Amino acid sequence: MWTLKLALHYLFPKGRMGTFFTWISIAGIALGVMVLTIVLSIMNGFDKTIHNKLIQINGQIKILSSSVVEDCAQWMHTLENFEGVSHVTPFVQGIALVQHGDYVQFPRCLGVDEKTVQTVLPLNSFVRSGDINDLNQGVFVTKGLVQTLNVNVGDTLDIYSPLSLEAIKRDEVLLPKELPIIGIFETGWAEIDKNTLLCSLETLQDLYGLANGVHGFSLNVKTGISIQSLCLKLNAHLPKSLRAYSWMELDADFLHILKLEKAMSFFVLLFVILVACFSISSGLMSSVVRKTREIALLRIWGAQRWQIAALFCWQATFLSSIGILLGFMGGLGVLHYRNGVIRCLTGLIFPKDFLWNFYSFSNLPVAYAWQDFALVGSLTFIIALLAAVIPALKASFSLVARSLRSE
Amino acid sequence: MNKALLIADKLTKFFANSKTERFCLWHDIHIEISEGESMAICGESGSGKSTLLFALGGLEGVDSGTICFCDQMICHRLNPHIPGISYIFQHYYLIEELNVLENLLIPVRVMGEKVDTGIMDRAHCLLSELGLEKFSYQLPKTLSGGERQRIAIGRAFMMNPRLILADEPTGSLDEQTSLRVVQMFFSICQKFKTSFILVTHNENFAMQTNKYCRLEQGELKRCK
Repeated sequence: MWTLKLALHYLFPKGRMGTFFTWISIAGIALGVMVLTIVLSIMNGFDKTIHNKLIQINGQIKILSSSVVEDCAQWMHTLENFEGVSHVTPFVQGIALVQHGDYVQFPRCLGVDEKTVQTVLPLNSFVRSGDINDLNQGVFVTKGLVQTLNVNVGDTLDIYSPLSLEAIKRDEVLLPKELPIIGIFETGWAEIDKNTLLCSLETLQDLYGLANGVHGFSLNVKTGISIQSLCLKLNAHLPKSLRAYSWMELDADFLHILKLEKAMSFFVLLFVILVACFSISSGLMSSVVRKTREIALLRIWGAQRWQIAALFCWQATFLSSIGILLGFMGGLGVLHYRNGVIRCLTGLIFPKDFLWNFYSFSNLPVAYAWQDFALVGSLTFIIALLAAVIPALKASFSLVARSLRSE
Repeated sequence: MNKALLIADKLTKFFANSKTERFCLWHDIHIEISEGESMAICGESGSGKSTLLFALGGLEGVDSGTICFCDQMICHRLNPHIPGISYIFQHYYLIEELNVLENLLIPVRVMGEKVDTGIMDRAHCLLSELGLEKFSYQLPKTLSGGERQRIAIGRAFMMNPRLILADEPTGSLDEQTSLRVVQMFFSICQKFKTSFILVTHNENFAMQTNKYCRLEQGELKRCK
């Protein structure tokens, strides 16, 4: 394996820690790998945070009905005993007109069963003030509604349901339901936090005139059970009017955008590595030109063309391997101290609580995926190796006599 | 008489000036060199001495004629590697990243031979002959031109060649250093009974070889 040894000597000559070309090439690769590692890990962190949030808001599976589900208790019993289902809670949802003084809003109303809801949705973790167990005594509003309706805990809201419109058609007047605000909640999910009202199942059933009917069920699955396969099983057993959706299906478009965003970031940042590999290629090419007579001598001593090509491919292999390793180490290092770095940077330009105000989190989420590391590493390695192909071919196909005569 | 090592007969080489014009560089060249014999080729710059030397080693093609080395025809295809033939060039072409000893060993490694104690002994013996033993672990860039050329000479002898083709090996050296280097080269050739063909501008060196020829107007004329 003289090619391997000589390649190492070309990069790290005896008595030196490496040439300028060696370290600049390694730095280029390391920088590209580091940036990719950081961005992908943060994107994974966002993904994971958003996925958890989506599950907390919807439950792992949501069963929606095209009409009102009248026999709620029976369906609850059926679903609770369905293989793979761990907990079930019913819900009613819709729009209502909410008035407080001169302020009017049309929030999304969610009625939940306070006895079972905590087994599926961690509402307690969303409560900023009030007690979720008192849900039958009033309503919870989001921070957004607090601002738009100019209300606070203890104020009373007038709630008009769609039944009021039906009553107007009959020349009747249906008085609004007056409910006190008993708490404020915040999920961290802007779409919900802007305009949502949470009340008990009975309150919303009464407002919508549903008697004991519900609009659907949220449920969680037992550990180790695939959500998708349980959805399929449920849909096979449920009547046509009911359909089970996994949390991924409910926000499929949004999740697709997240995936697309990650793929685009990867694609754009891959150009950093491409540029680094171009520098490897040009460095190796100048090395071929500089060492053209040495290459001719190697051929005279019996080196085969493939061995000459291997000499340059080995160099790219070493450069990319060291660059990848240093890139991963640098990336993991930066990610480890990310919050300190972010606070330093935002502290210089933005107010102290910028992250919290803008993104609803104070710490940058990170999730490490070995698949991403493998993808970045292998892709960088392959690109670097491809970068060496042209110099390697030029070296291996150079004519010995012409090389020896070249000045 | 010793057995002929290399026989080149009726060698002719044309060079293309342009797409349509060709001129004859040399023609009907006949060279015969036996084991342990030495030969020098002199001539003006551009007379085709180096091209002839490269052709004899299989690095350059010829338009007609035959070259036979160790009873094997070598002129029908370009073959940079002919076992038994080594080269010394005007420029040393050392691998700057390797130390002196490693530079001597690199042809052995490239040929896929194991660097055993026999090879190491040979390398140290050559370094000693060339007065380079104390520089064994130094990089070539720390040495003078004469010392570097001596490394190149040592490297040429590492594979125990039967014929050395030396293309103006003293071209980059001053007169005194040239003399010392050439004397060392001649003495090692004598010691190992290695034949050589020396291309040089220096007639004094040429006169010390067994056969001295001049390449003039495309013809090789025997002077000694």
